[in-house]
Amino acid sequence: MFEARLTQGVLLRKLLDSMKDLVQDANFDCSSTGFALQAMDSSHVSLIHMQLRSDGFDHFRCDRNLSMGVSLNNMAKILKCMGNDDVLTMKAEDQGDSVTFMFESANQERISDFELKLMDIDSEQLGIPDTDYSATVKMPSSEFARICKDLSTIGDTVLIAVTKDGVRFSTNGDIGSANVTVRSHSNVDKPEEQVVIDMQEPVALTFALRYLNSFAKATPLSNQVIISMSKELPVVVQYRMEDMGQISYYLAPKIEDEEMDGDE
Amino acid sequence: MGIKNLTKLLGDHAPGCCKEQKVENYFGRKVAVDASMHIYQFLVVVGRTGDQTLTSESGDVTSHLQGMFFRTAKMLEVGMKPVYVFDGKPPALKKEELSRRVERRGDATDLLTEAKEEGAEADVEKYSKRTVRVTAQHNEECRRLLRLMGVPVVEAPSEAEAQCAQMCKEGLVYGIASEDMDSLTFATPKLIRNLMKPQTQNVPINEYDYDKVLAGLNLTSDQFIDLCILCGCDYCGTIKGIGGVTALKLIQKHKRLEDVLTSMEGGRYEIPDPFPYEEARRLFKEPDVLKGDSMPQLKWTTADEEGLVQFLVGEKSFNEDRVRKAVQRVNAAKSKSTQGRLESFFGPVSVKTSDTGKRKEPATGKGKGGGAAKKGKSGVGLKKK
Repeated sequence: MFEARLTQGVLLRKLLDSMKDLVQDANFDCSSTGFALQAMDSSHVSLIHMQLRSDGFDHFRCDRNLSMGVSLNNMAKILKCMGNDDVLTMKAEDQGDSVTFMFESANQERISDFELKLMDIDSEQLGIPDTDYSATVKMPSSEFARICKDLSTIGDTVLIAVTKDGVRFSTNGDIGSANVTVRSHSNVDKPEEQVVIDMQEPVALTFALRYLNSFAKATPLSNQVIISMSKELPVVVQYRMEDMGQISYYLAPKIEDEEMDGDE
Repeated sequence: MGIKNLTKLLGDHAPGCCKEQKVENYFGRKVAVDASMHIYQFLVVVGRTGDQTLTSESGDVTSHLQGMFFRTAKMLEVGMKPVYVFDGKPPALKKEELSRRVERRGDATDLLTEAKEEGAEADVEKYSKRTVRVTAQHNEECRRLLRLMGVPVVEAPSEAEAQCAQMCKEGLVYGIASEDMDSLTFATPKLIRNLMKPQTQNVPINEYDYDKVLAGLNLTSDQFIDLCILCGCDYCGTIKGIGGVTALKLIQKHKRLEDVLTSMEGGRYEIPDPFPYEEARRLFKEPDVLKGDSMPQLKWTTADEEGLVQFLVGEKSFNEDRVRKAVQRVNAAKSKSTQGRLESFFGPVSVKTSDTGKRKEPATGKGKGGGAAKKGKSGVGLKKK
């Protein structure tokens, strides 16, 4: 039996909205430690790793580990039917073939039950090694979303270059080129607006903007985004939800192709 | 012509072995393509109405070049690296199957003349497809085209599928593009079907995983070969009354083809004479292929725009604009750096299955439905030469 109650039900809806564009079907892993998901897009370029800790829920019960196969799109559709202030309760039997979402309005006047059929799916998993990234940028999530959106009007890829005093996003395309530089600055009154750069060595990597724009769908989850990069490693774009958990997106960089070189 | 009914058998009994893929997901992948089979398909399908095919101004058939050029261009555009493998000398055992095909072609030619006289258009189309033959000239023109496009070509000593399978086993390519199910009998780790179908048909690409095939059918690789021989392959005749399901049951019960045949003695099944299963088994297990260092190095180079224009437009009456645009798209795609994949950083993928819920319908449903639909379309396509 799995049961989890979340006062801020809307959080799960935001999470689903930030994942459904990248992955169609995925397994949610329920265990005594929490509610988690790891999934890759079908081309294996990006990976989502989401974790909600059990102590972040108002009530959490999971008798035995359970892996629930879900169509993220359908789950998102159901969560759309939830009011913004509703309390959400998820329930699933160990041997059942469905999961129930119960929405209770804040004043307890309206209670709705939605049942979603589960699926048996094969999800592809990767073991992600612990890495000390050589550069970490913490910046307002809305700023990051805006940069990715703006640069997409010019090009398909973005070069993210981190130096000691700033991070530069640059792109070029058929119609022209664009550069956005964000300088590190602190703001004691409004910590959510600061830009903090922690760098061991400068890093510059190129990524497909299409994926970054999908990641930026998680902007409503957190005021700040943490971008971690190391030379020749996938970038991690992480959104932390206070007292609750986090969602991280991994994206493989663009690489120079040695075999296509016509001079061989 | 492959293994009889293997697609359906796999759809029913090993549904997990086949995965649907999109062309876009193959960026950066090296793929070995069974050239001879595809040339045949192009000749049958591309630009055909009735018994008329695409020709140049001087009347030479150009369907194969049309198909080969635009499909290869599409593959290069998404960043795939195709390598074409041509058939060499067919193994002696295949002679019988080949002579049967020649015979069928002969019959079809007669029927075609008949149909033409009667003016039955549907029949004209049907029979004229059956008379299609890939000539040495077709093959030679395709080689020339591929060289101009900067795509490597490999000459197999014998069967192209066996060579493709070997290249895939050695890790030279990610998978092999063929419609022929006997690629799996050659133990191809990854078989990609429908890769060369035009996008307008919107046929999903099916990727078969050899290990999952064996796991799904619960057979060893030797037993799988026996199963294929029993189902009916190119090298041996077929036993009347034995379909895929019966064959699978028999192999699962008796484990070895020898024992299956012994059990049939005196029964209602007629085993064709000769039934050279040992020889067929050897051909599947140790086919005549280039291995290791004897393989030429695979190189992809920039397409030669002027050369292609001269060949396709000058000699084969292609539309110059379309050729130039396709070449430019290909070369533009080549200059781009390619997208990396997470596996190359984080190691291999493991698969995790759900604890609850139903297996998604399309996975098995499409296996069956798709198999039946494909049969209709590629019934002709599967016969090669």
